[in-house]
Amino acid sequence: MGDLTAPRDASQAAAVPAIQVSAVRKAFGQVTALTDVDLTVSAGTLTALLGPNGAGKTTLVRIIATLARPDAGQVRVFGYDVVRQAGQVRARIGLTGQYAGLEEALSGHDNLMLIGRLAGLSRGRAASRAAELTAALGLTDAAERMVRTYSGGMRRRLDLAASLMHHPGLLVLDEPTTGLDPGSRRQLWAVLARLRSAGTTMLLTTQYLEEADRFADIVHVLHHGKVIASGTPGQLKSRAGGEGTSLDDAFLALTRGSGDRGSGDRGSGDRGSGDKASQNTGAVPS
Amino acid sequence: MTTVPAHDPAPVHYPAPAHYRAARDSALIAGRNLRVLRKNPGRMIYPLVQPLVLLVMFVSVFGNLAIAGHAGGSSGTYRQFLIPGIIIENAALTAPTTGLALLRDASSGLADRFRSLPMARAAVLAGRLASDAIVFAVQAVLLLAVATLLGFHVRHDLAGLAAITAVTTAFAAGVAVLSAWLALLINDPETAERVLFFPAIALAFISSAFAPVADLAGWMQPVARVNPVTAAAAVIRSVASGGPLTAPLLELGCWTAALILIPGTLAVRRWNAAR
Repeated sequence: MGDLTAPRDASQAAAVPAIQVSAVRKAFGQVTALTDVDLTVSAGTLTALLGPNGAGKTTLVRIIATLARPDAGQVRVFGYDVVRQAGQVRARIGLTGQYAGLEEALSGHDNLMLIGRLAGLSRGRAASRAAELTAALGLTDAAERMVRTYSGGMRRRLDLAASLMHHPGLLVLDEPTTGLDPGSRRQLWAVLARLRSAGTTMLLTTQYLEEADRFADIVHVLHHGKVIASGTPGQLKSRAGGEGTSLDDAFLALTRGSGDRGSGDRGSGDRGSGDKASQNTGAVPS
Repeated sequence: MTTVPAHDPAPVHYPAPAHYRAARDSALIAGRNLRVLRKNPGRMIYPLVQPLVLLVMFVSVFGNLAIAGHAGGSSGTYRQFLIPGIIIENAALTAPTTGLALLRDASSGLADRFRSLPMARAAVLAGRLASDAIVFAVQAVLLLAVATLLGFHVRHDLAGLAAITAVTTAFAAGVAVLSAWLALLINDPETAERVLFFPAIALAFISSAFAPVADLAGWMQPVARVNPVTAAAAVIRSVASGGPLTAPLLELGCWTAALILIPGTLAVRRWNAAR
């Protein structure tokens, strides 16, 4: 299996937060997506951002990934401001969005080469990194096939490989397993677990609460554009009822009574229908 | 002021001068677009095959009308007048594919991927324009080859043909950039597909592409005189058959520069707009 990541100066990883969000606000017309959001993601951790549809998760992820600007407040990634120093931020992040950012009419290898070269790698380094990642993600045999022939799980793995081409210090995963079958989710999580153990900082949004429960170091619950709870999965469960309480129960307790899930955040890019947050709580394939 | 953070997981790539990165990234995007074309040859039918069909049809139908005296002069003379118009008309009709392709990228997950990379911000548009310019040039060469078979004569042979190819490509690039900006403004692929070709058709018909400006309807003539299609067709006619070259060439150069710089800047801003 190839090397998924090559963390640099990991010994200093805790010195500066990977992500520092301070008093961030964002609105789309009359719809408020984020209201005075504060949160910190420590380097080397896997942090989950949970919330009902329309809570503002994707808006926050897009701001962190330099794809959207906050109306107020500040976001820093490894100390760099996402607005004023967007180039520095982009050089240090990898983004895997809800929809695979791939060229369907090219092969998996061609996609990785393109992304790697655009990220600044030389042709040789991009080729060796592409070979390394396709091997690590089980895509070697399919590397020369056009992406349009890939299954959903293969696309997500290739998308993840593309995100890792330039050895990002922070991996931003916006619902990476949504729509995948259990086998594909299991494969993807095996890769993410290896990245985590290698020290890559990850920010994850997911509608599968069991995934957050099982893999996240820290969970932030976003509701109506605000962070309403933060802590380890164990802490959140304790707060909601203690022994025997699932993260699903904790999540529902924290967000109970809202009655309007999925109504906000229309301009933010949050996609999906219905109240999936409370439905998709199936066990993580192991 | 730039803040240097205490902890910096420095990226593995080596920073290069901005202009080098812009050229390199644009070339990478252009290479990707051409590779997609090569692996999906069906996408070349519209820009490369359809213009040839239109050329043959136009010359066959309107060439015969000219013989009957509807367009004045002998069919040979009118053919010599008409073919530059058809070449420019095809360029105008093909150029909006640039806008549509850019909008397809903008509407796909690929747009977020590109925007989140530390790449030159203008590279997606510049790369698209570069790859499409190659297509426009190939289209012009094919049209000139078939036109020659149909009796079109160009003075100075190869030099003349090369000049016409360059003029046609430059004109198409200008219209392509305009289409890119309009497509990103429309921001809906289906609507853009229906809307973008109307201006191209209007540009072609309210011009001297098919008839001298003096023979057009009165309300058309002021528009036709300042239409870049008129200037481009005039340049090609002068190169092919002789005639005043400086004025139409200057006019076309101004149009092309304006079309590339102004909508180009607006299109790049639109592409990169963080919402």
